[in-house]
Amino acid sequence: MTDTGFDVAGLKASHRPVSEFRYEKRPVVAGYNDRTLYVNVGDGRIAEKPVSADTRAKFTGGKGYGLKLLWDAVTPATKWNDPENEVNIATGPVGGNTNYPGSGKSIVVSISPTTGIPIDCNVGGYFGPFLKFSGFDALELQGRAERDVIVYIDGDEGVVKIFEAPGEAVDSHVLAEQMVAMFARDENDRQHISSVSAGSGAENSLIGCLNFSFYDKRRKVARLKQAGRGGIGTVFRDKKIKAVVVKYSSLDVTSNNPADLAKLQETGLKLHREIIELDDQQCRMREIGTAHLTEIMNEYDLLPTCNYKFGSSPDAEGINSHAFSAIVTHGLPDGCWYGCTMACAKAADGFELATGPYKGHKVTVDGPEYETVAGCGANIGVFDPRVVLELNFYCDTYGIDTISFGTSTAFIMECWENGILDSDRTGGLEITWGNGPAALELLHRIGRGEGFGLVAGLGVRRMKAYFAEHYGADPKFLQDIGCECKGLEYSQYVSKESLAQQGGYSMALKGPQHDEAWLIFMDMVNNRIPTFEDKAEALYYFPMFRTWFGLQGLCKLPWNDIEPADNASTDEPAKVPEHVDNYLAIYKAVTGNDLDREGLIRQSARVYNFQKVFCIRMGKGRRIDDLPPYRMVGPVTVEEYESRADRYDKQLREQVGVDPSGMDTPAKIAALRAYREDRYEKLQDAVYKRKGWTREGIPTIETLQDLGIDYPEVVEVVKPLL
Amino acid sequence: MITVNGSPHPWHDGMTVRKILEEKRYTFPLLVVRIDGRLVPRSDYGETTVPDGADVDVMHLMSGG
Amino acid sequence: MPKRLSCDNSKCIACGACMTACSTLFFKVDDPKRSCIRIEQNGPEIDMSVCNQTCRLCVAECPVKALTVSPQGVVMLDRKLCVGCLACVAVCPTGAMRHYPGLANPFKCIACGACARKCPTGAIGIVVEE
Ligand code: SF4
Ligand code: SF4
Ligand code: SF4
Repeated sequence: MTDTGFDVAGLKASHRPVSEFRYEKRPVVAGYNDRTLYVNVGDGRIAEKPVSADTRAKFTGGKGYGLKLLWDAVTPATKWNDPENEVNIATGPVGGNTNYPGSGKSIVVSISPTTGIPIDCNVGGYFGPFLKFSGFDALELQGRAERDVIVYIDGDEGVVKIFEAPGEAVDSHVLAEQMVAMFARDENDRQHISSVSAGSGAENSLIGCLNFSFYDKRRKVARLKQAGRGGIGTVFRDKKIKAVVVKYSSLDVTSNNPADLAKLQETGLKLHREIIELDDQQCRMREIGTAHLTEIMNEYDLLPTCNYKFGSSPDAEGINSHAFSAIVTHGLPDGCWYGCTMACAKAADGFELATGPYKGHKVTVDGPEYETVAGCGANIGVFDPRVVLELNFYCDTYGIDTISFGTSTAFIMECWENGILDSDRTGGLEITWGNGPAALELLHRIGRGEGFGLVAGLGVRRMKAYFAEHYGADPKFLQDIGCECKGLEYSQYVSKESLAQQGGYSMALKGPQHDEAWLIFMDMVNNRIPTFEDKAEALYYFPMFRTWFGLQGLCKLPWNDIEPADNASTDEPAKVPEHVDNYLAIYKAVTGNDLDREGLIRQSARVYNFQKVFCIRMGKGRRIDDLPPYRMVGPVTVEEYESRADRYDKQLREQVGVDPSGMDTPAKIAALRAYREDRYEKLQDAVYKRKGWTREGIPTIETLQDLGIDYPEVVEVVKPLL
Repeated sequence: MITVNGSPHPWHDGMTVRKILEEKRYTFPLLVVRIDGRLVPRSDYGETTVPDGADVDVMHLMSGG
Repeated sequence: MPKRLSCDNSKCIACGACMTACSTLFFKVDDPKRSCIRIEQNGPEIDMSVCNQTCRLCVAECPVKALTVSPQGVVMLDRKLCVGCLACVAVCPTGAMRHYPGLANPFKCIACGACARKCPTGAIGIVVEE
């Protein structure tokens, strides 16, 4: 799409200025500005805030900064749609570096509409780095406008503006192009613009996502990366923000002003070479991105199929990486930020849409990433790659999280199968397994905020309550099959055979997203962490290690989706020690500060425990909030048990100590369930202990003191619970 | 009988690492294989034979979004 | 087909005059590490390394299109566009896309012929292939 499609002058003429703020431009010093930008779209206030030395020392950057600002902005009573809730965006000190792969992430935090506690998303695109180079380590968006506004940060001129923008599109694939056309001088200037936007679906549901744009010079398209989880797009549209746009034109390796450029380059070059040499024999990220995982997950019985009932399907071939490889464009430098030679941000070009408001349009569809293939494919019984791509496209442009949409739709389909839903209740939609057209129409109704779309857009937790209340469905059954925890829908891995992953999911602070820990292979296949203590150690180390990416503005993928040729001969290959050392090296090269492995974990542990206390402050984050639905732990139904009867019978015999012969399936299900639920509780005990929390999951004062985050207002939250 | 990742697995004459991976359907690309503690380089999976009674460790490095 | 530097290592005596010419022209220093052409004595062999202008893997890899092919077929780097990611350096199969530690941008041979003019044995020359 080109700018000729838009009447830019007409759009501009309809703008009405709200407020304007000029600031002094200063160069970044060793990865930091030490100031943040505050924007209130409700009353038009714009201000800069200094970052205190203490905040910098304790919160490091990125997610740490976002959470600290959010904490200061809200009270325990704040609801997601109160004006004081914020959407905060920050990259970290390493973020924006252009020569170490995966260095361009933004971290977004807000109080989530579906969970009521802080949510955080790590997202690509150019926004976070451009924001930093424009002068700010973080952006706070607060308030609620009366009419739709755009916030424009001109990092070249040192000006921030809020203006009313009635004419621009809401859906992101159009809006992102409009922003580029509006704010770029010429074709070459387009790559200097990045916008954050949501979409019409984010207005009408609680599972809205944000789209972060990055201009693709070869495709000549403003492409989108999603901050998907937890409904931040919904908060954004509730504030009546159409877009936040940043412009920064002088990007080069000195923009981040690293302390030691030569060392940074040496480390980056080493990883570039490793990726270019080894990726095609390892994960094929350069060819097909994370979608390479689909056939692997299917092979290991981990690909969620029909609402996580099963872990594989004979039809999965239809949506494996080769099916998508045949559709996406190859040979382009598909990094979501400069210098990412992993280049996993694949896209299909000239894709003709078959349904919806943009039917017949030929569009570039980003992805699909593995999560989308699984969630909008196997998990809803769809094995047609074109349906997956179309769902992916519309989810993105409507500003809907593909993971929550997939898991919610899977839940709906199982409710249909069990007679809880019928076409009267869905407004005529036959939402049955594998019905791609019905899934698409459901998505369009969420986009339009129409009929059953409004119910589906509430997410699994609220649907459970709704179906029990209005349709008399059995709440226990709904609880068992509705794959959410804390109000967030599960991401797309079957965790039944891995106790550690059950914990990795449901003890994750924000809700069941796998970015804290992915331990299925280590636990279930390698058999490496057999005891509760082993599992607890893994559930300590990996969440802490992985939290660090979010503090720095880094992507997790170049850590372990590529490994050095000699990684196997290191003492702890699963940690990829050479890459950990690379991170310590680039951290030092950027900031000038020494950091060792222990120091890295401490940086994370501070923010992690702060976030934990924040969850408690907002009313969740206790032991009972960490309980998974049984579907994620073991077989709920007879069909499910019998599909893997040999496995479960064997476990009854060998692990539970029960002889299954002569037992009927419901009795076997009950025996296995009692055993597994007990083990989960034991795991909770071990993990909380390892993390320095009480049996109820509350960080102790000593833990907070040890980490130096025993601020009075933090201690006040936990004290009554100890 | 050999042991693969802690579980018994039938052994046969001339069994190579590659054969074990096939039988176990270990298709994941990022593996670290050890026979009785000895590392087997990826390039040698086809030639390296596994003796009866061996303790084989096929470590899958995690991956995923 | 491209204009490029041709190298004949049977004529090369590894005197280094070409590297002096190249680095002085572009960086105002006499430093082989900042020369686009590289001559190395490797036992009895002399390795001559410079961009072949034909494979263009670097051009495909550059995320900002800072690398383009000139009408003469020479791969050119536009430093105003370059963001210094060094992907081109990593992808270059011959090592001819050069990086000097601490310099913001890589550099490479543009087939200007300055080195060829200084070569005492005629081991280097400019060729324009049909
Ligand atoms: S690995 Fe993929 S998601 Fe991560 S930074 Fe690179 S292109 Fe972006
Ligand atoms: S610099 Fe390297 S990659 Fe580029 S054209 Fe020359 S030889 Fe090929
Ligand atoms: S270093 Fe410069 S020329 Fe080379 S690929 Fe990166 S941006 Fe392009």
